[in-house]
Amino acid sequence: MENPQQSQDVRIVRATSAFDCGGRCPLLLHVKDNKIIRIEGDDHPDSDRQLRTCLRCRAYRKYVHHPERLMHPQKRVGAKGEGRFERISWDEALSILSGKLKETKDKFGPESILLMTGGGYLASLHSGSMAAPRLLNQFGGYTTHYGNISSEGAVWASLVQYGSVMVGHSREDMLNSKLIILWGWDPARMISGSNTMHHLLKAKENGAKVISVEPRYTDTAAAVADKWIPIYPGTDTAMMAAMAYVMITENLQDQAFLNKYTIGFDKFKEYILGDEDGQAKTPQWAEAVCGVPAETIADLAREYAAAKPAALMDCQGPARSAMGEQYCRFAATLSAMTGNVGKPGGSACGGLMGIPIGHMFRMSAIPPGKNPVEMTGPKIKGTLDIRDRVIKRIHINKLWEAILEGKAGGFPADVKMAWSMCNNYLNQIGNANKGDKALKKLPFFAVNEIFMTAQARYADLLLPVTTAAERSDLTYAWPSGPYYTFVNRAIEPLGECKSDLEICEMLSDYLGVKDYRLGAKEEDILKHMVDQNPVTSKYVTDFDKFKNDGIHRIELKEPYIAFRKQIEDPENNPFDTPSGKIEIYSQRVADINSPKCPPVPKYIPTFEDRNDPLFEKYPLQLLTPHPRNRVHSEMYKVEWLREAEPHVLWIHPSDAEARGVSNGDDIQAFNDRGRVAVQAFVTQRIKPGVVCMFEGAWYQPDENGVDRGACANTLTKDDYSGGGAAVMNTSLVQVAKA
Amino acid sequence: MQMGFYFDQTRCTGCNACRVACKDWNDVPEGPEAWMQVKYLEQGETPDVFVAYMLQTCFHCESPICAEACPADAITKRPEDGIVLVDRNACLGKEECGAKCLKACPYQAPQFGPEPGAKMGKCVFCTDRLAQGKMPSCVEACYTRALDFGPLDELQKKYGQAVEAPSFKYSKRTKPSVVMNPKNPK
Repeated sequence: MENPQQSQDVRIVRATSAFDCGGRCPLLLHVKDNKIIRIEGDDHPDSDRQLRTCLRCRAYRKYVHHPERLMHPQKRVGAKGEGRFERISWDEALSILSGKLKETKDKFGPESILLMTGGGYLASLHSGSMAAPRLLNQFGGYTTHYGNISSEGAVWASLVQYGSVMVGHSREDMLNSKLIILWGWDPARMISGSNTMHHLLKAKENGAKVISVEPRYTDTAAAVADKWIPIYPGTDTAMMAAMAYVMITENLQDQAFLNKYTIGFDKFKEYILGDEDGQAKTPQWAEAVCGVPAETIADLAREYAAAKPAALMDCQGPARSAMGEQYCRFAATLSAMTGNVGKPGGSACGGLMGIPIGHMFRMSAIPPGKNPVEMTGPKIKGTLDIRDRVIKRIHINKLWEAILEGKAGGFPADVKMAWSMCNNYLNQIGNANKGDKALKKLPFFAVNEIFMTAQARYADLLLPVTTAAERSDLTYAWPSGPYYTFVNRAIEPLGECKSDLEICEMLSDYLGVKDYRLGAKEEDILKHMVDQNPVTSKYVTDFDKFKNDGIHRIELKEPYIAFRKQIEDPENNPFDTPSGKIEIYSQRVADINSPKCPPVPKYIPTFEDRNDPLFEKYPLQLLTPHPRNRVHSEMYKVEWLREAEPHVLWIHPSDAEARGVSNGDDIQAFNDRGRVAVQAFVTQRIKPGVVCMFEGAWYQPDENGVDRGACANTLTKDDYSGGGAAVMNTSLVQVAKA
Repeated sequence: MQMGFYFDQTRCTGCNACRVACKDWNDVPEGPEAWMQVKYLEQGETPDVFVAYMLQTCFHCESPICAEACPADAITKRPEDGIVLVDRNACLGKEECGAKCLKACPYQAPQFGPEPGAKMGKCVFCTDRLAQGKMPSCVEACYTRALDFGPLDELQKKYGQAVEAPSFKYSKRTKPSVVMNPKNPK
């Protein structure tokens, strides 16, 4: 076999991918003749410290060089959504797009232009989420969406409770925990930061007791949990309330901590004890709601209160529901009650798990400028009232309704055209069948894409985009480091592909936008970004070495602990909340005056829970967690990954038997929103009454409207919670044999 | 010296990074031929469920029964490290001989592509990587560090003598070169 390391014509390029994937892992790309031929992972000399990539980037070259990559600009020749296109030149493509932009602005006003950006790839320079707003701001403005589909519940909760989104500990801190509660957290599957699972296993081997509270027995739980507590989706807060009840009635809470660092515990206590609504939140009450035996709830409460330190690890999955933010607020409140905030081996909760070193929320970006369309709107910086945010913007999970209903439906604009990049929203936000209607109705739709995705099929104009392997850029650890990564261009752009930034640059000429170009070489811009970013510049002082190594690691003397300063020296370090304390009761939330947003965290019944009358018709709760072998809907076409895990629907044997379903059977899952065809995976690893289908499989409706691709969002609702969380885990369905 | 694998079943989350890394490094096409696979085992009832994953690959047996079964003598064991290799040029192809190696192997290690006349392929212990002082691709890829490799006697010194695990039966006949850290039901 040829030895590629010593072969004259193989280059090793240091890079990362730019996926919205849960990690950010150094890759050594072996390149020969403008083709990636092999991949190696992190080569840090201490193999225990290597940031090892997961199966997805192990198949990175099959994604970059996939035969179905879009290579040329194309325009639609069939009906909308049919997916029939013909090749055109870049000149024709840019003439069409610039013409439509000008025509729409002149005829209907700039607010009629919808810009759809997303997290399909995340980097500082070439991602459309950064490049396109700058162009359209200079062009005259546009309407866009508010929020993302993933983290709104957790973000809102963290801002309410702490006034900060930096609520995580660096992962090695788990080794300081005596008890780790995985509450809806599955890092084996969703990664949650490179090396997280490795540290969790180490914590377990270090003697930590691990308990998993989840509707599913996850691969994480299977590897580390001493106990699995199955719970109904959307009822986490009922169980947490009962845990608080046990702690309060047995006087197990850390009252000194609560007195010193928090505000509003008394009001919370009134709610828990039933003084407020006449219902004490006892374990027996909770059992009827969440399906967990009262004794199990009481035991966990006592165990969590006694184990010091203990880390309650909530995440974003359960927060992606009709009362998602309540779950993260509740978790943070329990953490305060047990005195685990700001302490090694503890956790602040809040679902986001990031630290302020190498955090994706603080990435460098192209300066976007201001959107003229939004100048007349309310001041929204820092607001917790989602109603303010959707005056000028469309909530991410309401895009389809906004296109269909426009101003008459209470949305900020009548959308006459849309331009999309870095996303496959038809597949990845709620209610795909409504998306099908909206995109068919939309007068003009331009899509920058890498593949012919579910959404790209609906385009009038397709612009082919490079992958992250075809450009140099800065990427950021997901959610955070402590390290920074640099992507060196591995190959020249394939076909006629261009980055979103390059497309915007070319388009600026067609639009007559004069000052769009950054006017410097790619590498100089990247160096400038590193030097100018207040966070990066503190750490990355040798840019050439950074570029050469592809990574700059930060050596932490001790684990980073969220809010350590606030707890150790509260006088000089108040929390960034109005009271300066952890807000168990939030006056800011009280001022919103919405029943969906109680000032103390509460269990709230919601639509499509087990008490909804709809439950009679659709008696199964659907979960839609992250897939392991795709990044959401990215990499869907990569065969090496598809064969590693077939797309299935998890169903408990008791539910399967009642429907005459056996393992491997073709089944259909359906509700009023849609119907998917998928294979059954009959397993004891899911609570009876709950089914699970991983998100990201591509929507492929057949002539009868049955989604043969089994996209999870064919079944989910296009709605959001009081805090703005997309409700991807609040859906009732029925399952039947196909 | 005999090269071997160590598998810590308690650390495996069934992620399949090893499977994909193996295909990448050895350029194995998509489809049924996979030199490294991950088998799934589930037992028990909600909420007391037991889940374990197990590697399915070549364990470079001390007495490779596949080599004995091969009518073309295409399978040999390297004297210097006991790694079992197949000469694909000498292999007759799966229809020609009826995949005798696969039938003989207790671990389904010999693999064939879907095409007629497919030649046998299997784990080669990344001999090219070993020559460069690197780990096999699957070991490097394992982000939970459930995999290790090395001379079998060193692995036994480091990790003990366990050779049985759920979903794996040690063949006394072929003597696979492996050390296990089995994951047992609670």
